[in-house]
Amino acid sequence: MPRSRVFASNEFGLILLIAVFTVVFGLTTKGFLSPFNLFTLGRSAAVNIMIGLSMMAVIVTGGLNLAVGAIGVCAAMLCGYAIEGLQLHWSVSLICAVALGAGLGFINGFAVVRTGLHSFIITLATMSIFFGTMIFLTRAEAYRNLPAGFGSFGKMKILSYVSPLLIVTLAVALALAWLYRRSVLGREMLAAGARPEAAELSGIRVGQVTVLCHMLSGALAAIAALMLVARNGAAIPSMAGQLGQDWLLPAFLGPVLGGALLNGGKAPVLGTCLGAALVTLLTGGLLLLQLGEFWVQTFLGLLLLIAVFMDKARRSYLAYRNLL
Amino acid sequence: MVKSSFLSRLSRADWFGPLLAVLITVAIIRTFSPNFLSAFNIQTLLLAIAVNVLIAFSQMIIIAIGQMNLSVGAIGGLSAIAFAGMIEVWGVPAPYAAIAALLAGVACGVLNGVLISVTGISAFVITLATLSIYKGINLGITHAQPFYGVPESVKALGTAALIGPVPMLILPTLIAAAALWFLLARLPAGRFILAVGGNEHAASLSGISVRKVVILAHAISGLLAACAGILLVARLQIGQPSIGDDWLILSFAAPVIGGAVLAGGHVSVAATSLGVVIVALITQALVLFSIDPFLVQVVLGSLILAAVGINRLRQVRLASGRA
Repeated sequence: MPRSRVFASNEFGLILLIAVFTVVFGLTTKGFLSPFNLFTLGRSAAVNIMIGLSMMAVIVTGGLNLAVGAIGVCAAMLCGYAIEGLQLHWSVSLICAVALGAGLGFINGFAVVRTGLHSFIITLATMSIFFGTMIFLTRAEAYRNLPAGFGSFGKMKILSYVSPLLIVTLAVALALAWLYRRSVLGREMLAAGARPEAAELSGIRVGQVTVLCHMLSGALAAIAALMLVARNGAAIPSMAGQLGQDWLLPAFLGPVLGGALLNGGKAPVLGTCLGAALVTLLTGGLLLLQLGEFWVQTFLGLLLLIAVFMDKARRSYLAYRNLL
Repeated sequence: MVKSSFLSRLSRADWFGPLLAVLITVAIIRTFSPNFLSAFNIQTLLLAIAVNVLIAFSQMIIIAIGQMNLSVGAIGGLSAIAFAGMIEVWGVPAPYAAIAALLAGVACGVLNGVLISVTGISAFVITLATLSIYKGINLGITHAQPFYGVPESVKALGTAALIGPVPMLILPTLIAAAALWFLLARLPAGRFILAVGGNEHAASLSGISVRKVVILAHAISGLLAACAGILLVARLQIGQPSIGDDWLILSFAAPVIGGAVLAGGHVSVAATSLGVVIVALITQALVLFSIDPFLVQVVLGSLILAAVGINRLRQVRLASGRA
C-alpha cells in the first residue's frame, strides 16, 4: 500500500483522533491515565467493540440487525438460567448462550432471505418478539447467584491495566480479520454484500451466506452480552435497555466510524475496533470532565453525524481523485 | 356480476383488510368479554388510539417518501418536555407553550430533512444520530426528572369528554387525519411526496424539487410527533422525559399493518389508523383476558411480520394477475 493511501485511510484518522483525545483528557482531567481508569476504559471498550463487530457482520451483507441488543440479552438470560435453573456447568452454559445467539440470528437471516424483505423491518419485528419472549419467560427477574468465577473474571486485572475481557475481544477480532481476509467463506460474504447478482452468477449461494452472516452477528451479540454479565456479576434483563435499544447507537457508531459501507461489501474489522475504542474513550473522558452525564448522549449523536459527514467528504474526494 | 366486481374492488382497497380484521377482533372479544364495549373501556381505547394514530402518521409520512425516521419518539419526547417545561419554569401560558413546542417539533423535523437531503446520507443513519441528539438534549434539560407543574386547564383537557365516552383528545387526531388525507389525496404537495417515494429519479426528472419535498415530509413528521407528545402530557398529567421511548415499534407496526409499502410511494391514512386500532384492540384484549402484559411486545412483533408477509403475498398476487 502506498504511503498516501495509509494516511488517507479511516484507520489512520481514528488512531490520530484516539491519540489526540488521550493527550487532551490526560492533561485536562485528573486520573484519566491512572491504571484504574485505563482498566475500566479497556473493559468498556471490549464490550463496545464486540457490539460493533456484531452489527458489522450484518452490515457486510448490506443489511442491518436492529435485534443485536435483544439477542444479546436473550443469550445472557439463557446463560443465567442454565447455571441457576438447570445447574449446568458454566462452560456448557456459555456454549448454550452463544448457540442461542446464533440460532436467533438464524431466524433473522432465514426470514430475510425467504421473504425478500429488507432486514430493517424483519429485525425490528424480531427484536420485539425476542425481547418480549425473554421478559415473559424470566418475569423480568435477574439471575444474581452466578458462580464467583464470573464476577472475578470481570474484575480480574492482567499487569494491572488489562482486563481479560479485552483479550477475548482482541482474539475474536483477529479471528474475524482472518475470516474476511483469508477464508473462502469470508470472501463470499463480502462478495454477496457488494454485488449479490454478480456473486450469485459466480456460484455463491447468496441466500445461505446471508443467513450465515446473521448467525455470526447473533453469536457475537451473545458474546458481548456474556461479557457484560461477567462485568456486572449478574444476568439482568434490562442491561441493554427497553427492547435492547440502548445497544443500537454503539452498534452503529463502531462500524460507521470504522468505514463500513451501509450498502454492504466492506468489513473493516480494525476500523470498527478503533471506532468503538474512540467512542469509549470520548464517553469516559467526557464523564471525567463532569460536563454533566446527561449530555453525553447528545455528544455521541453529534459524533455519529460528524463521522458520516467526514466519510462522505472522504469518498467524494477519492472519487474526484480517481476521475483525474 | 356487478356485485362481484364491486366486491373485488373493495377487497383491493388498502383499508378493507384492516377493517375486516378490526370487525372480527371486536366480535371475538365481545363474545368472550361482555364488558368490552362498556363506556369506560371505549374511552380508554380511544385515548390510547388518539395518541398512537398521531405517532403512526408521523412515521407514515416518512415511509411515503421511502425513508424512515428513527427519531419520531425523541422529537415527541423533546416537544413534550419543552411544553411542560416552558409552562413550569418560564410561566408561559399553555396555548403559547403548545405552539412553541409544536414549532420545536417542526424544527427538529426540518433539521432531519435538511441533513438527509443536503448530504444524501441514508435517513437511517441521520435519524439515528439525531435520535441520540434530541434525546440527549431532553435528558440534559430535565436530568431525567419529570415536570410536575402542568396547569389544571391542560389536565382538564386530558380527561374531558367530547360526547359521551369520546374523549376530547381525539379531536386533534381527527383534524390531523383529515388534513393528511386532504394533503396526500388532493394537494400537489401530497402528490409530490408520493411521487418522490415511488420513484425519486423520475420525480426529479419531472420537475419536482426532491429536496424541498423531503424537508416538507420531515417537517410534517416532526409536527405530528410533537402533537402526540403534547397530547401525552395532557393525558399523563406530567411532563415525563421518557415520553417517546417506546414509540419506535408501534410507529412502524401501524403503517405496515395498514399496507404501507416500505419502499415508499404508497400509504393510506385510513388503513394506518385502522392499523393503530388493531394494535390497541389486541393490547386491550390481552389485558381483559388477563394474559401476561409482557407478551404485548411479542404480539406487536408478530403482527408486523404477519402484515409484511400478507402484503408481500398480495403484491405477488397483483403482479401475477396483471401479467
